Amino acid sequence: MFVNVFRLAWADLRFDWRISFCMVAAMVAVVAPLLLLFGLKHGVVTQLQQELLQDPRNLEVKMLSSGSFDQAWLNKLRQMPGVGYAIGMTRSLNTQADLRLDRRRFLENVEVLASAQGDLLLQTQARDLSPNEIILTQEAARRLNWTAGESVHLRLNRRLDGQLEQGNKAMTVVDVLAEHRYSRPAVFVAPETLLALEYARDGFQIPDFSLLTGKPLATDMPVLYARARVYASTIDQVGEVAKGLEQQGIPVASRYADIENVRAINRVLSLIFGVIALTAIVGCAASLGGAFLANVDRKRKDLAVLRLLGIDSGGVIRYVLIQAILLSLLAYALGLGLYGLGSTLFNQLLVGDGLQTDFVCRITLAHALYALLMVAGLACVVAAIGAWRAVRVQPAESLREI
Amino acid sequence: MLRIQQLEVSRGHGPHAFRVQLPELALEAGQIVAVTGVSGCGKSTLLETLGLLLRPTQAQVFTLGQEAKDIRALYASGRESELAQWRARNLGFVLQNGGLLPYLSVWENMVLPRRLLGLPAKADHLDAAIATLNLERLLNLYPSALSIGERQRVAFSRAIAHAPGLVLADEPTAALDPETAHNVFQLFFSLAKELDLAVLLVSHDWDSLSQFAIPRLQAKLEPGLSIFVPEVAAPCL
Repeated sequence: MFVNVFRLAWADLRFDWRISFCMVAAMVAVVAPLLLLFGLKHGVVTQLQQELLQDPRNLEVKMLSSGSFDQAWLNKLRQMPGVGYAIGMTRSLNTQADLRLDRRRFLENVEVLASAQGDLLLQTQARDLSPNEIILTQEAARRLNWTAGESVHLRLNRRLDGQLEQGNKAMTVVDVLAEHRYSRPAVFVAPETLLALEYARDGFQIPDFSLLTGKPLATDMPVLYARARVYASTIDQVGEVAKGLEQQGIPVASRYADIENVRAINRVLSLIFGVIALTAIVGCAASLGGAFLANVDRKRKDLAVLRLLGIDSGGVIRYVLIQAILLSLLAYALGLGLYGLGSTLFNQLLVGDGLQTDFVCRITLAHALYALLMVAGLACVVAAIGAWRAVRVQPAESLREI
Repeated sequence: MLRIQQLEVSRGHGPHAFRVQLPELALEAGQIVAVTGVSGCGKSTLLETLGLLLRPTQAQVFTLGQEAKDIRALYASGRESELAQWRARNLGFVLQNGGLLPYLSVWENMVLPRRLLGLPAKADHLDAAIATLNLERLLNLYPSALSIGERQRVAFSRAIAHAPGLVLADEPTAALDPETAHNVFQLFFSLAKELDLAVLLVSHDWDSLSQFAIPRLQAKLEPGLSIFVPEVAAPCL
């Protein structure tokens, strides 16, 4: 029976193609602009979000003041919800050192940062470093005129009991960090190396740096960090991490405002899109509902004949719904085609012409499927009104001219 | 095929109530009977009742089909789809305007009852009907391309396509001129004889039908009541 009803519904649509075209056009007029509008909204927001994601510094929550934090605190910080990576840092004055290759090739007061596996700043180049390994930034390597295979001396100066002393350690360069990841001259070292620099400046004996004067470093001396380099795991969690640190009385700075800005843009665009979509859908539903009802009234006689020939109420409902689904599928396909043309036009005309982005208009496969379900669903809901009217057509109506 | 005893059906309420009675009718294969009467005498009401489109108020006997199905029990069960199936299988309808679906070709219209019953489209008796009714050259046309007389001939062939046993025809020549009406009746009756069909024909135009010497049920009107009684002691009773 289903095949017969399908065949009849399709034949009716084909025969009455002008009316079918009007109904399809009414749906396309809503589907295509909505897909384009949503594509634009999604494209713009995705681009802004990707820009935020591409730069890991947007994930950083900077601790603005120094304190005294032990390893247990650091471990607890790493377990905090939303924290993607955290590594201890020393006092800011102690995070600088000189780099030297020879008499003519040296850099003074270069930034020294601790790093380890999982460092979001170094991304794929992150690794656990041994105490005599370093990673140079591209800028540091360029200014030093470093060539592959050369060792770099990490040097520091300290004044102990009125005497100027110089610490020095030969380090192996294991990698050069890509410039886009960190543009300033800097060197990444193992946390122990950074701590050694601080202990050296605090007047301790650091044999690794050939500093043999001063207080000996007790083996049970607790490791204390002045602060930490902290990153949230996603941009959505930057606010949560910042809030968590602030609750501990630690003032922080982050790009939360920029992230919130993108979210606000997303919210505003979603609201605008939602209102426009709702208005369009209500208009389309009213237009389609009217068309389906008028169509049922127009075909009352034919429906009565179908019922006379043995199609029951279920068959009549299927007949109307099949027509609605076929029309909506056709409308969706045409709407998607028009969206494809429109989005190609947007992407070709706008990308690279003032906009620093790969695309401005895009929907995902999931979006396309949701749109299909919505179009078919809307058509079925509206057609249900027509079906409700159609099942009230009595077969006896076919017997006489009304 | 069709057996009726003491059938009554009502329409309207209160002072506007109108009853139609059929005391007795037995219609076997190959028999043709006309139902005649003035406009408003209840001919179509009777046809609707016999066509299982209107539930009778009462009936002592109401059986239909080769298996003599008790229609009262079918109504009592309240299953609309079963009633629709029984109607589709055992009855063929010829409507005033043909009742052809405009979006199907003549051939598709003809075989639609067979398809809806799950029968193969081709059938020998249908081929015979097409030949008798001279429909061969019309098969691929759509109803809008046919004259009214041609549409009625197609409607006859659709009514017998699934070999229903009983054909109910409601004023099938109402829209035709007398000469065409006579020709259509002639073709239809010869087809009915050829295929051994029982036919119940509703018409207000006894003048056209009287030439074919078929028995008829004539409406006798009383206030608020119409009783269909045989005018001639004929093979239908």
